[in-house]
Amino acid sequence: MKTANWMLALCLLLLPPLAAATEKVVVITSYPQEVISQFEAAFEKKYPQYRLEILWRQSRDTMNYLHQPHSPVDVYWTPAQRNFAQLAKEGALRKLDIDLTGLPKRIGGFQISDPDGYYVAHETAGYGMAYHPAELQRLGLPVPIDWKSLTAPAYSGHVVVPIPSKVGYAPMLVDTLLQGYGWEQGWDILARVAANASLADAGATFISDDVGSGRVAVGMTMDFFAVSAIANGKPLRFTYPVRVGYSPAHIGIFKEAANLNGARTFASFVLSDEGQKLLFHPDIRKLPVRPAVYARKPEGYFDPFAAARLASYDYDVATGLSRQELVSALFDALITRQHAVLKTMWSAIHQAEQRAPNDPRLQQARNHANWLPLTAAQANDAARQQLFIQRDSRTESLEQQWNADIANHYAQATRIALAIAGEKP
Amino acid sequence: MNRLTCLLLCILAAARPAFANDAAIAVSDDTREAYTQAIPALAETDRAKFLKGRALVRQVWVIPPSENREIAGLGPLYNRLSCIACHPANGHGFAPESAAEPMRAMLVRLSVPGKDPHGGPLPHAAYGGQLNENGVPGVTGEGRTEVHYRTHTVSLSGGEMVKLRQPEFRFVDLAYGDFPASMMTSSRIGSPIFGLGLLEAVPEGTLVALAAVGKPAGIKGKVNYVWDAELKKSVPGRFGWKANMPNLRQQIAGAMVGDLGITSPLFPQENCMLVQSDCAKSPSDGKPELSAAQLDATEFYHFALAAPQPRNNGDKQVKRGAVLFGKAQCAACHVPELKTGEFAKYPALSNRTIHPYTDLLLHDMGEALADHRPDYLANGREWRTPPLWGIGLAQKIEARAGFLHDGRARSLLEAVLWHGGEGAGSTQAVKDMTAADRNALIDFLESL
Repeated sequence: MKTANWMLALCLLLLPPLAAATEKVVVITSYPQEVISQFEAAFEKKYPQYRLEILWRQSRDTMNYLHQPHSPVDVYWTPAQRNFAQLAKEGALRKLDIDLTGLPKRIGGFQISDPDGYYVAHETAGYGMAYHPAELQRLGLPVPIDWKSLTAPAYSGHVVVPIPSKVGYAPMLVDTLLQGYGWEQGWDILARVAANASLADAGATFISDDVGSGRVAVGMTMDFFAVSAIANGKPLRFTYPVRVGYSPAHIGIFKEAANLNGARTFASFVLSDEGQKLLFHPDIRKLPVRPAVYARKPEGYFDPFAAARLASYDYDVATGLSRQELVSALFDALITRQHAVLKTMWSAIHQAEQRAPNDPRLQQARNHANWLPLTAAQANDAARQQLFIQRDSRTESLEQQWNADIANHYAQATRIALAIAGEKP
Repeated sequence: MNRLTCLLLCILAAARPAFANDAAIAVSDDTREAYTQAIPALAETDRAKFLKGRALVRQVWVIPPSENREIAGLGPLYNRLSCIACHPANGHGFAPESAAEPMRAMLVRLSVPGKDPHGGPLPHAAYGGQLNENGVPGVTGEGRTEVHYRTHTVSLSGGEMVKLRQPEFRFVDLAYGDFPASMMTSSRIGSPIFGLGLLEAVPEGTLVALAAVGKPAGIKGKVNYVWDAELKKSVPGRFGWKANMPNLRQQIAGAMVGDLGITSPLFPQENCMLVQSDCAKSPSDGKPELSAAQLDATEFYHFALAAPQPRNNGDKQVKRGAVLFGKAQCAACHVPELKTGEFAKYPALSNRTIHPYTDLLLHDMGEALADHRPDYLANGREWRTPPLWGIGLAQKIEARAGFLHDGRARSLLEAVLWHGGEGAGSTQAVKDMTAADRNALIDFLESL
């Protein structure tokens, strides 16, 4: 009998292993396929008892889905910070009861994880400037070192700026300038850069395509679009401004999770050394939030924790998120809808500045050019913000008033500047 | 012998080195983005359409209902979430490393003995023509495929040993009962999707002539004739591992519905069989889910994707490899040079000289590669000659890129050594080469 048992055991050892039954971990995300593929393969290799079931949805659609009757979802893993905040507020997320040792909640003055512990950053992207070195050289333009660099008239026609109401990552980029430089100066820089730029919308193309091909010399963008393109061979470079803005992505576990162990395992995996290092892959190129993994970063990889030690500023995430729609609407009023006028106006002001730099009327022209329909305090008013989230006839009426006022101020700025420059309006 | 046949024989015999493709339709790019570039001849006015098609190919699809209806339609049954899951960076798919790993860039076609009304494979009554491993919430996936490998070693002259792995497929967690003994299965990794417009632009007459021309060493080659769902007639097949698709539009629409469960004007029915009641009840979003305009854009994107130019073709070793490629009769099927004809669907591709290294014909590849599953005129041992252009970049673009229909070959040398049937003579020639010659041959392939 003993011999028979041994033989049976031997036979079992010699048989090719059969895959064990697997449990699914249901994850909702809006990550692109490249990110999903890398994490899926690495996670399922390390934990073959689990299979990821990915439900892919864009941010707003995700909230609609979760608010309707649906099959249980285990994990939310995506770059959509406002959704996480909303879900935590609604009580849909569990407090994360996994080991978070070695994961700071801030990068310098930038809060990246939920202070209450319902969701945690697992990567972040940084905002900066992608540029085409050969094209810059051909144009005789210096490499920009900060957002302000792009306001120089020499960059006119060689910059591309994403429209925040159209391009998903752009609202935070714009708000980074508004908080980094302050409301008035931030809008001044944005307007001057936009006057030098073409505007990109969601339906057009990735900024890195335009810059990557040299059609445009510099683009304001998120690092991973450009850095991934560089890693894959595009002749691009990317530079972070002095005031780096971040757009963190998070992971959280739903209270409704049907596979809590699987959810915890997946969340722990993406936050682990192994998961964090996947972010270095050429197809991803996001910034890990575990500082320790930067010890083994690819050459030249940006380390936000090191950068924050050199220069940092306080960014209030709640402020940025709550006024996102309002700021995007204001951008459209000040820049998108007036783009041709804006270009003419700033061109005239630059001419006037050259022709008569000490003319007292110049300040008048600049004041009109920099006129804003709202102060920072008004932009931070919750009732006004709600008007731009829900949008109704009152919003339209307000925007029409903005359009008229802005057009009037831009016209006056142009008239004054042209008068200084000695040209007829 | 007519003039065309003479010309073709000259092409076959010449063992042409890796000449550059017509510059208007190929790109000099050896980066990981090499398979994603538009042809230089792309008009600026067509760029938006190209990018729209690219966005759809890159799109991870949404399960309906969704407020984003233009990207909704995944399922009810599906294999993967996006086109590029199986065609990473527009390139080669790959096989699982072991039974524990699911198919991530690969699928299994199914059929039972007999033919459909148009001469194609007869789908199984419950499982249809393809095993869809995944279902949307509420719909059970049809089952899973485990890939097990048996390995054996091949000896080459000079003492070099190469380990080959032969896959065996086991089907588990089958939702609609065990497969009948008569079930025929055929596993396929994703194929590269660049340069396909140019292959569609090769005239039918060229394929017929290539099939008719006499070839050395028992090599034959035949055209597969397949059903064109739009024209409602049989036409030459040129896409897919068995040349079972007549054109890109049908290839795309077929993959959309078969792999992703996304209906289109060409295939408006969801991929549910009669017995799959949960599948049939599942919500659909839009009829069809991929609109005609979206299908147009996706087709256009494929038309306009350039092939990479060969690299290092001035290198001595590469030149020697090119000569050996010819001597080993590889060029008899992997025809180096073809010419496109008038191509009304996208005139920029008309009358171009291309170097795809394929004849688009079916060849008997021997028992070891046989799937024993007929597909129109292709029998169970026949496979279409896959194009070799760009193949040297395959594993730079996707480290796990596999070769041959089921991705069993992990290197180009392994792929060569699996050739049997009409390719057996070439395989023997490569086995008999000195190691230096084999290296030169591989260097040549890597230069494509």
